[in-house]
Amino acid sequence: MHDLVVIGAGPAGGNAALSAAQAGLDVLVIDEASQPGGQVWRAPSLGVTLAADPDLTRGQAMRMALGNAKIPIKTGFSVWSVAPISDGFEIALASEGGPEMVKARRLLVATGAQERVVPFPGWTLPGVFGLAAATLMLKTENMLPGKRIVIAGQGPLLLAVAAKALKLGKVPIAVVDYNGLGAWLRSVAGFARHLPSFGQGLTWQAKLALGRVPIRRRSEITQAFADNNGLLAEIEIAPLGRGRKQRLRVDTAFIGNGLVPGDEILRLLGVKRVPDPMTGWRIAADAHGRCGPSGLYVAGDAGRIRGALPAAAQGRRVGQVIARDAGITTSFDAVDEAPEFERFADASCRLMQVDDARISTLPDEVILCRCEDVTVGMVRQAIAEGAQDANQLKHFTRLGMGPCQARMCGANAAALLRSHAKVQPGAEYLTPRSPIRPVDITHMAGQFDYADIPVPKPAPL
Amino acid sequence: MTKTVDLAVIGGGIHGASIALFAARGGMNVTLIDRDALARGASGTNAGTLTMQMTRAALIPYALKAHEMWVRAPEWLGHDVGVKACDGLSLAFTEAEETLLAERAEARRAAGAPIRLVTPEEARAIEPSVSTQIRMASHCTIDGFANAYLTGVAFRRALISEGVELQEYTSVDAVEPAARGYSVHTKAGVINARQIVLAGGVWLEPMLRWLSVHVPIRTLVNQLAVTERMPPVMRTVVGIASGLLSLKQYPHGTVVIGGGWQGIGDRTRNTHSVVHDSLIGNVRLAVHAIPGLAASRIVRSWTGFEAETADALPAVGAVPGHEGAWVCGSVHSGYTSGPYIARCLSQAILGEEPEMPLFPIDRLLPAVVSNPLK
Ligand SMILES: Cc1cc2nc3c(=O)[nH]c(=O)nc-3n(C[C@H](O)[C@@H](O)[C@H](O)COP(=O)(O)OP(=O)(O)OC[C@H]3O[C@@H](n4cnc5c(N)ncnc54)[C@H](O)[C@@H]3O)c2cc1C
Ligand SMILES: Cc1cc2nc3c(=O)[nH]c(=O)nc-3n(C[C@H](O)[C@H](O)[C@H](O)COP(=O)(O)OP(=O)(O)OC[C@H]3O[C@@H](n4cnc5c(N)ncnc54)[C@H](O)[C@@H]3O)c2cc1C
Repeated sequence: MHDLVVIGAGPAGGNAALSAAQAGLDVLVIDEASQPGGQVWRAPSLGVTLAADPDLTRGQAMRMALGNAKIPIKTGFSVWSVAPISDGFEIALASEGGPEMVKARRLLVATGAQERVVPFPGWTLPGVFGLAAATLMLKTENMLPGKRIVIAGQGPLLLAVAAKALKLGKVPIAVVDYNGLGAWLRSVAGFARHLPSFGQGLTWQAKLALGRVPIRRRSEITQAFADNNGLLAEIEIAPLGRGRKQRLRVDTAFIGNGLVPGDEILRLLGVKRVPDPMTGWRIAADAHGRCGPSGLYVAGDAGRIRGALPAAAQGRRVGQVIARDAGITTSFDAVDEAPEFERFADASCRLMQVDDARISTLPDEVILCRCEDVTVGMVRQAIAEGAQDANQLKHFTRLGMGPCQARMCGANAAALLRSHAKVQPGAEYLTPRSPIRPVDITHMAGQFDYADIPVPKPAPL
Repeated sequence: MTKTVDLAVIGGGIHGASIALFAARGGMNVTLIDRDALARGASGTNAGTLTMQMTRAALIPYALKAHEMWVRAPEWLGHDVGVKACDGLSLAFTEAEETLLAERAEARRAAGAPIRLVTPEEARAIEPSVSTQIRMASHCTIDGFANAYLTGVAFRRALISEGVELQEYTSVDAVEPAARGYSVHTKAGVINARQIVLAGGVWLEPMLRWLSVHVPIRTLVNQLAVTERMPPVMRTVVGIASGLLSLKQYPHGTVVIGGGWQGIGDRTRNTHSVVHDSLIGNVRLAVHAIPGLAASRIVRSWTGFEAETADALPAVGAVPGHEGAWVCGSVHSGYTSGPYIARCLSQAILGEEPEMPLFPIDRLLPAVVSNPLK
């Protein structure tokens, strides 16, 4: 039984572990990646060298600090479920070695964010990748697939990926930005609150301008087409509202429309989502990261999309709060969340905003749930027949029954329910189920003797 | 003025929804009320196994009739719930399980189920992917499964076309005897009904309390899991002697793993969740029985409430002392038998003689202790 288990070793979880351990708690960190760092401060794969950049430096510093503090870290372990037990939490892991249960009096969930995609006809074709997946390839392998690439969507990752593609010598055929320059400029006011990020934003824009990358502002991909082999071959882009459509031959598209909290573990434990005007929802927690069930905490993007630096600051603070709640320390010296972070985070999130109307006006033939091939039209049909909540949509259409359990389409299905059905607040999201990620049966079962399976008493005859 | 309906059915699971349908077909004016959406409880989340080999011996005659109904669902329900009839095997891996299997197969056979014991070789001819470690199996030619999550969709269409009024997301707080029948109190108002049916699954106990009738109902928290879609790995329904495994592969490729392993839950708060060790135990049994499952992944697990009376037999019949009030539920393997049990009760409600005997709850009432001093 550990005093504290931290799930996720990104900026939030890593820093929380450091401050909790410093205060004297016995901490265990779990992360499915091979090294601490999370999404932004991700470590490159062995043998890959990246040019110095602030994220890499911050990541190295955190990895070093975690090493020096001798905090045990289980890397390469994906948490597939968490359940409450009488005196804390049982955290379920599985690997080639079989199932493993870790117990903790207190639990901090710092599992970061997930990407949101606004779908269009053809978005599931091979050759279409997420922007988040692109940053992952860039950070671990320093590469991007594709020759004729297009980068489309919205939010800070859009320009980050475009600028990094340029650096690799890949000039995108186009960058298709949902936002106009005006939105960016308005956000710059927020970015300016945090100078390094402000600088980075400007550098990205400048680089793209110098690289003569055509940027289509206030535009979006409206369709993608396959070649004879079923691979992505062409996209259609169009300005928002009315305007001339254009077709471009491409072999690879990177798309993404911002981030939503990666909150499955919190939801499994009964924590609710509350509406958030910018990223759809956030997790119900107090200012110190305490969630409803006692002993459960959240920090970073898992609770509310704020970005890496706010996540790190929040992590440090929540680590101390946990130590204080555990009665280990009474001191509380971490600075409060800096206001410049708040403005900066708001500015970034504003660029990710997806209004429900963008989903509710999608054509019927667009695939919504890619695991089960459920289209927007099938969802509309189900709603017309009386489905009024997400669990019913699942029963009517199989939406969310596949391996990703609606991680990909959940936000969009919720938007359709809010637009077309009489859905009760909260019921637009599926009941969360474990495993939160598919688990190999061999990993879940492990090695066992039949005689040792604790088969319960048979039912009456 | 509030209108009076002939029948208010409270609880829209397999029992309530079937009774509402049959009563409407019998000419009654019916309202069906559920505090959630139709068949979102046990009846929409169960494993869908339509099997004799997990059914209590006393219920086999009902289950056989119901199996026939399920196979012909498109005829009487008018809609498909993905029913597939196939062979069923129950396995024994140890000597103790052989004894249990033989005893249970015999009792069920005596009750009318076409079950016989087979050798491992015969079992493998029926289900080629079954484990080589079995010592014996029992084979039933009447087995199969439905896609339980389609229950709500199918019944919704059928009920609407029969003119049943559906009131979903409407919790009933109380029922009271009234001048002519009962008044049913909901958040959305009062419904007057000449007759009522309590069909609340594990919530039959609090429902009966509305009428001051006290029948304890135990709450089981059954756990299930499902694999990702995989190539064909099995073609029958497979269980084990103790009944604590049920496995079958759906046409779209997923395999549902169940058998009644227990999760944890709270009936009053209507919350239930998976217990990790139960899931692992259940998955171990599954991969032990069908080794080919090792190639797949578990994508989801879930839980639901199943009701059980003190003697584990159904609570189906009139509510003692309350004319026109009926109760229906707590049927073991209740999804399998549900439509037929509901048909029998709806015959009673319509004033006919039920095709097969009901299971009145008088036997479950606390013995009346008369005061010796009086
Ligand atoms: C794919 C992706 C790429 C991103 N790239 C950028 C970028 O380049 N620049 C930028 O500014 N922002 C980026 N973001 C935004 C990012 O969320 C940051 O805001 C920041 O990383 C948040 O920090 P965090 O500590 O909250 O979460 P993260 O940094 O995301 O850390 C969460 C950690 O939890 C681990 N984890 C999650 N679930 C489990 C589980 N079930 N079991 C075990 N471990 C688990 C993950 O492996 C990860 O290491 C990206 C987001 C995503 C989803
Ligand atoms: C996980 C699981 C797996 C199972 N697997 C199988 C199987 O493979 N084969 C098989 O034959 N059986 C199986 N069973 C058993 C079977 O599902 C049940 O016996 C059957 O579905 C019960 O149906 P019911 O209509 O009595 O109750 P339920 O389906 O529980 O319906 C009761 C309804 O009453 C409603 N209700 C409760 N209180 C109120 C109120 N105050 N006001 C309004 N409405 C209310 C509820 O919302 C609910 O919809 C399984 C059960 C579970 C839980």
